[in-house]
Parts: sequence; C-alpha cells; structure tokens
Amino acid sequence: MKRRKFLHQAAITGTVALTTNRSLLQESRAAATSSPLSLAFPSLADAVLNQANQLGAEFSEFRIGKTSSESLHARESAVRAVNYSEDSGCCVRALVDGAWGFAASHEISEEEVLRLTHTAIAIAKEQKGKRLEAVSLEKLPAWKDQWQMPMEIDPFSISLDDKAALLLDINQRALNAGANFCRSGLMQVKEEKWLANSIGSCIEQSRVRIRPYFSVTVVDSKKGGFSNRDSLAAPRGSGYEYVRDYDFEGEVAQAVEEAKEKMAAPGVKSGPKDLVIHPSNLWLTIHESIGHPTELDRAMGFEANFAGTSFVKPELLGKLKYASDLVTIRADRTQANGLSTIAYDDDGVKTAGKEFNIIDKGLFTNYQMAIGQAAMIGREQSNGCAYADSFSTFPLQRMPNISLQPGEDDGVTTEKLISDVEDGIYIVGSGSWSIDQQRYNFQFTGQTFHKIKNGKLDGMYKDVAYQGNSVEFWNSCDGLGGPSTYELGGAFNCGKGRPTQSAPVSHGAVPSRFRQVQVLNTQEEGGSKA
Amino acid sequence: MIPSESQTRELAEKILKLSKADSAVVHISNADDANLRFANNDITSNAARKLLSLSVTSNFGTRSASVEWNQTDDTSLKDAVARSEQMAKLAPENPEFMPPLGKQSYEEAATFSANTAASGPPELAAWLQPAIDATRTAKISGAGFLNRKISANAIANTAGLFAYQASTTVDFSITARSSKGNGSGWSSCQFTDSQDLSLKSTANTAIKKALDSRGPAAMDPGKYPVVLEASAARNLISLLMWALNQRSSDEKRSFLSSLTKENPIGQNLFGDKATLYSDPTYKAAPGPIFSHDGQANRATNWIKDGTLKNLFCNRYWAKKQNIQPMPYASNVIMPGEGHSLEHLIKKVDRGVLITRLWYLRMVQPQSLLYTGLTRDGTFLIKNGKISKPINNFRFNESPASLLNRIIASGSPERVLGSEGSTPMHIPPLLVDDFHFSSVSDAV
Repeated sequence: MKRRKFLHQAAITGTVALTTNRSLLQESRAAATSSPLSLAFPSLADAVLNQANQLGAEFSEFRIGKTSSESLHARESAVRAVNYSEDSGCCVRALVDGAWGFAASHEISEEEVLRLTHTAIAIAKEQKGKRLEAVSLEKLPAWKDQWQMPMEIDPFSISLDDKAALLLDINQRALNAGANFCRSGLMQVKEEKWLANSIGSCIEQSRVRIRPYFSVTVVDSKKGGFSNRDSLAAPRGSGYEYVRDYDFEGEVAQAVEEAKEKMAAPGVKSGPKDLVIHPSNLWLTIHESIGHPTELDRAMGFEANFAGTSFVKPELLGKLKYASDLVTIRADRTQANGLSTIAYDDDGVKTAGKEFNIIDKGLFTNYQMAIGQAAMIGREQSNGCAYADSFSTFPLQRMPNISLQPGEDDGVTTEKLISDVEDGIYIVGSGSWSIDQQRYNFQFTGQTFHKIKNGKLDGMYKDVAYQGNSVEFWNSCDGLGGPSTYELGGAFNCGKGRPTQSAPVSHGAVPSRFRQVQVLNTQEEGGSKA
Repeated sequence: MIPSESQTRELAEKILKLSKADSAVVHISNADDANLRFANNDITSNAARKLLSLSVTSNFGTRSASVEWNQTDDTSLKDAVARSEQMAKLAPENPEFMPPLGKQSYEEAATFSANTAASGPPELAAWLQPAIDATRTAKISGAGFLNRKISANAIANTAGLFAYQASTTVDFSITARSSKGNGSGWSSCQFTDSQDLSLKSTANTAIKKALDSRGPAAMDPGKYPVVLEASAARNLISLLMWALNQRSSDEKRSFLSSLTKENPIGQNLFGDKATLYSDPTYKAAPGPIFSHDGQANRATNWIKDGTLKNLFCNRYWAKKQNIQPMPYASNVIMPGEGHSLEHLIKKVDRGVLITRLWYLRMVQPQSLLYTGLTRDGTFLIKNGKISKPINNFRFNESPASLLNRIIASGSPERVLGSEGSTPMHIPPLLVDDFHFSSVSDAV
C-alpha cells in the first residue's frame, strides 16, 4: 500500500487493522494531534512491535521522524537562497540475541514497516555466535505522553518577506557603517518524533530551534588585509520571539567598529596570560573540553575510530579533580531555550528528574549515558542522553545542555573579574576550535580580543589563540560571574558517530577568569611563508 | 535497488510538468545504504537504509526558492512544487540570479560497479569478519566503520537539461588500540568496486601501527621535516582546494591576496612539486560528471608544477567578470613522483612520520592557517628509518605554504581523510619545516 493511500485510509478510519491486539499504544492516542502521522503511528507501531516480538526480539522500537526546516541566506543586497525542506520516514531498531539490528526508510506504509522489521531482525541475527559480549539493556519505565516545546511565536508562521527584510536590513546597516561585505542568514528547524517500544512507551514530541547569524568583513585595500567579525547571536531552542527581541541594529554597528579596530590592532605577544572569557566564547570550550570527554561511549571506546576516546577513564569517576572548587557543570535537558531540551530522549527515557552534575565543585561525578551503558560504570539507568538526528539514524549518546553554573555572588560582573587582572585578555565570541581525540590539548580563537592592563580594558589585540590542557585549564579558574551574567551559547551541528550525526546542544556560562593560559600569536604560528 | 535512469527521468518530468514558474530545476537523489559499525571487536550498530531526497527550485524572474522533500505520492509532489512557487513569489529579487542551463553534454560516468550494487548486509558482515578476527587474534581492540553506498543523483530543468549518475562506494576505516591503551593505529580504504576489497590487509596495517606505537617517547614541538601518509596529505590538500575561489580572490579576501597583489592565475605560488587536477572519469578515484547546477565536470588543472591554473567560479561571478565559469573540483588527483613510502622515509635525517590528522580547523583565513593534531601512529624518523613511536602534536600550518615545502612525493592512494568523502587520489608527501605548536598527551 502506498503511503499516501495508507495515510488517507488511516485518517478516515483512525487505524489500519494490522493486528487484533488493540494495544495501549492505540488507546494512548485519545489526546493525539490530528496530523496524518499521529493518526497513522499507533497501528504501524503495533504492527512492528508485534512482528518483532514474534521474530524473537528481546527489545524493539519503532520511530517516525519528521524534520522541517527553512533557511534564508543573504549577502550584501542579495537574498541568495530561500529553502524549505521536509524530511520524513521511519525506522525499526531491534535487539535480538544481544545484538542490534536497525533499518530505516523514507517510505511510511504498512508494507514498508514490516519489511524494515524483518530486515532489522535479520541483520541482528547475522551476528549470532560471532559476538564477544551481548548488548544488555536496563529496566526502564514505560511512558505514554505528548510534549510540545513551549514558544510564543512559531517561526514557520513568520512570512518570508519579513525574514528577508530583516537580513537585507542587517546587511545594509553593515555596509552603511563601513563594512565592505556582510552576509547573514536565518535557519529554523522543527523536529517531530513519534516513538513506541516493546516496554510499552508511546511518545509524541515536537520542538523548534532557530539560528540567526551575520558576519561582517572589512578590507584594507591599501595594505591588503581583511578582518571579519561574526555575530554573537547564539542559536536557541526558541520561537521567533528570540529573533524579534534580539538587538541586531546595535550589534551590527558594534561588529563593524570592532572589525575595523581588530584589523588595526597590534598582534598579541605569545606567552602565558590571564584570560577573562565571555560566555559567547566559553560555551564552546565547555563543549569541547568537558562535554565530549564525559561521554561514556567515548570513554568505553565506542567512538575510537572517529570522534575518539577520552582522558576521563571510568576509574576517575568521583576522583578526578577536573576543575577548581568554583566550577560546577550541570547537565539538563529541561533547561528553557536549550537546544537539547526535550521531554524524552530517543531511547524513551524521561529527562525531567535525570538532571545531573558532571562536575560538582571541581570533582568529576558523572558521565552522560544512553540505554545499555549504565551498568558499565555500576549505575542503574541511562540519564536520558540519547539522540538520533533523523528517522534514518541509530540513537547515540549525545550531549544534554551542559552548563557552567554561575558564582554565588551576583555582585561579580565582567568588570569586576577584569579588575583583578594585571596583564591579560578579555575574549568575546567563538572562532576556531580544535581538540585532540582524547580531549587533552585544545586550541581556540575568538571574535574579539580586548587587552587588559592593570585591571582595565585598553584597546584590542589581533591574531590571538589560546591553547591548553583541559584539566589544567579548568583548575586555573579563579573567578566566576554571578547569576545575572549567565548567557546561553550553543550550536546546531555537533558531529559524532558514523554515519555522522549532527546534534543541537546549548551550553550556558558566565564570564570566567582563568590564570596564566598559554596565548599564541596566530600570525607567528603561520610563519611568513604563506 | 535504486531507481534506473528512465525511472528517475520519468519522476523528474512528472515534477516539472507541475511547474507554473518561469523556470524550474529538479534534483533527485536516491541512496541504498548498508553499514556496520564496530568497537571493542564487536559490532555496535548494523543498519540498512533506503533514502530519497527530492528538491525543486522555482523561479519567477529573478525571484527564486527551493523546497526539498522525500515522498513521491502525487499529493506530496504537488504540495512541494506549489510551496516552492509560493515562496519564490515572496522572495526578493536576486541580483545574482542565473537562469537554468540548457541541455549539456557530459563525460561517461565511471562511478558505478554492479558487484557493489549486488551486495547487502550479509555481504558486508562477511567482508568485515576477517578484519575483526585479525584484531581479536592480535589481542588488539578494533573499532571502525564499513559503509556500502549505492546512490543515484539526477538533475532536470525546464530548459531541457537532464543528467543522471549512479555511483557505488565502499568506505572502510579501522582504529586498532593496544590492550593497555598506550598504542593506536589507523588505516582506511575506499573502493568503487567491492571486488577490490581486502579489509583484512587494511586491518593488519592498523594493527601493526598500534603495536609499533606502544609507549610513545616524548618529543618537543618545533619545526621538523615530516612524511605525511596519504590520508594526512589528503586532509591538508582538500582544505586548499576548497579555498581556490575566484570571487574571494577578486574581492581581496582570499589567502591568495597574501601571496600576490596581481592576478594569481598563471603565477607559481606553490613550488614546482605541486600538481593538482580533477578528472571525473579518472578510474582510480572517479567523481561526479555534473555539478549541482548541471554544469559538466571536465578534466581541469588547478595547480600545474606550482603554477595556479584555475579557480572555482560560479556562473554569476563569471558573467560579471566576463570569464568562463568553473565548477568545484569533482575529485582531486595529485600524481606524485612515484616514490615508495620507504624511499621518502629514507630521505629524512630527523623528522616525523604522520599517519593521520584530526580536527583541522581554520585559524587565520588571511594565510589559510589551519590547526589540527596528529593521531593513531606518529613516529620519529632517524637516519632514514623509523626509530620509535613519539607523542602526538598539535600543528599550525597553512596548506598553501606547505606545498612550497614538498621535498618529494610518493604514489597516489585512494584513502579516507578525517572528514569529507570527495574522491581523492593523493600520494604521501615529504615536507620540510612542518610546524608542531605543542604536544598532545592523547594516544
């Protein structure tokens, strides 16, 4: 049966008679939305789960995913691309004799989901007798629920006219302020997921994320150099109200002035310096030097071939002094506006109540986990960190929102942190980032680098990067901004796994001070040969 | 099984017939994926995927918008075309708009193998097992990824253009780690035809590197001559290729501006040992015969004996500058000098052998300065021989500068890089003065 025909029928009858077992899955649809996929899901899920059970699956799962996205990109006076995309399909994941099988298709029909079930189970059975260790899952509660991310304005309800006008206005303001070039864009994504599994869960969820951006370039045609300054606007798990309320006018003017100032600024002298790092830069340092090293699958070798392993070995749990006593890092998938925020992860684990500290007052206390992993470190259950970026991908352990908790004293401002620095740099905005495959050695740049002399800002540097070792760096932290300085950064596209999956994640932070961090002059690093 | 050319053409025409726009372009991509992922000598995920991507771009005058979707029923087709037209009417005029190309002639594709297309999950499991057996026998922890992809890409438009290309690839990479975690080795391969596969030999290369790299000695950062194995060389060269952009150069915001104030084309900017070209029909690493906008990909010299020959140039910028458009590289070939890896090593008094690079990111666009790290097999070369394993390094290097420092090169190989899958046939390179900025404790 073709999908459209099937969905049409499903919409009329409310179900398709695939099985006589009218399960709780179907009953749970009482409050379901009326979308064709919502209506079709229960009976398809029953068909898959029953079939998988008959074929010997220990655990099985059926997921439908639909991702809608819209993007506009502009440079100078041209809107160069206006795109909308809608990607939908379904998958079956089955555990048979301690081995996973997974099959996915863009077709959503009775015939196709049964084919996927057979395929997933057949490829799992292919491993029989060949494994060293069986995959074993912990007992998890079943959930029947629906969740929609709260937002004020659905970004898909805003007209293209308004969005294009915003981008062209940003670009024109930048050019008027003296930029030679400006590119800008707006990306928005809606994820809808339906999940049912053999332990009895049936979950429907939807969420939205949005990313505005711009980048200005100034060119020195006489000397032959150029300088860029990217917007500090972070992507958010938010409706269009975030874009509506953002001060693009103010930031564009500031960005052009800062790009000019950076181009004329002296290069930094390499060597150790005290740094005060703004949340718009520090979020990425948290992501790379704390987020990734504390993924349990990495620590156990599951990502060894691509993303890498981790210096944070399981025997360091509860023992590693990861950071100074000031530092507490919290994982939370319920955080407002977080890109990783969702009610249930893609293993069907409820995230509320699963918030946890990764680092508690400097001590490493917990890993991020998906199902089937907790027993490896003597814990009972996953802490809700699974994510699959599409209907066609296998859920992996991915980052929750991972954030540096503010200092207790709200009187500590950025200025106050700077006031206790004799010779240092205040770094704003994220730039280039790179870290080794076990997450020891990192190197980051930024957007602007403000010279600190005797406790005060004193112009800019250019050509700055900071380099360090994760544990040494975090133990050098001796100052945190208070709660009112907290800001949320993040990314749409953290890559991991094979085939590579892209996950959205947020990281909150406060301005923070680090002592004697190695600073590089990137011009000198490149030599004079290029 | 992926749809044939005639089935794909039929679908494309069906979509174009729905168009009421001044012009429209359709892209169709079908993929049949099977993959196996393994770690700690066991398979961790095992997947079969059937994927489709459709897109339509509708144009009214210079207003334009695109819709992508993945369902083929009549209602979905109509909805998508109607939505793209509705969006295009709302989109602003695009002063850089270029109308769709008419009918083109293309090279004959060399990217499809019936052997590979006939394989499925059982064949993949059979191909992989000898590699896993090898790591188990060696008491080494193996992790890796085997991916077989059958795909077909097509473009059609209302100006009469239609192009279709079917492709098959098998990608394999494996990391072998010693039981104590103090040694790590990596190897990879990529094939069009699965008949050419030998995953066991790839695994054995990784295993040997893991065993040889146990207990790395400390070595200071600094500038050293290095032998970049083919994968490492591939990573750096691909970064240069993406930066060869006519418009950026004309706008004086390219690394090329730091090398010359004149027109860079025709100037020797990269030393006499650097030759890079593309040829979609090149059998050892074939590429797409048409670009995303339907231009024909042809054999193209990018750099010849150090002299810059061509830059990527889109159709709008080419028209504005009154020059010929140039599609991006379909694939990248560096012929090399044909020396063996051992010969390159023999030429080094004191230097470093690099197996693989990781996490390469732009530091400074003005000089095309990138940072990154070595991993999975870094060795000291002393007096023309591999002496001992050493720590990994962070480097800061410009691939543009690096080409000027090639001392010698080997025979090209088709291997994978850390990221990206553009077909490349690149030799190992012996390069002087490679800049290691600091030590990485990672193994």
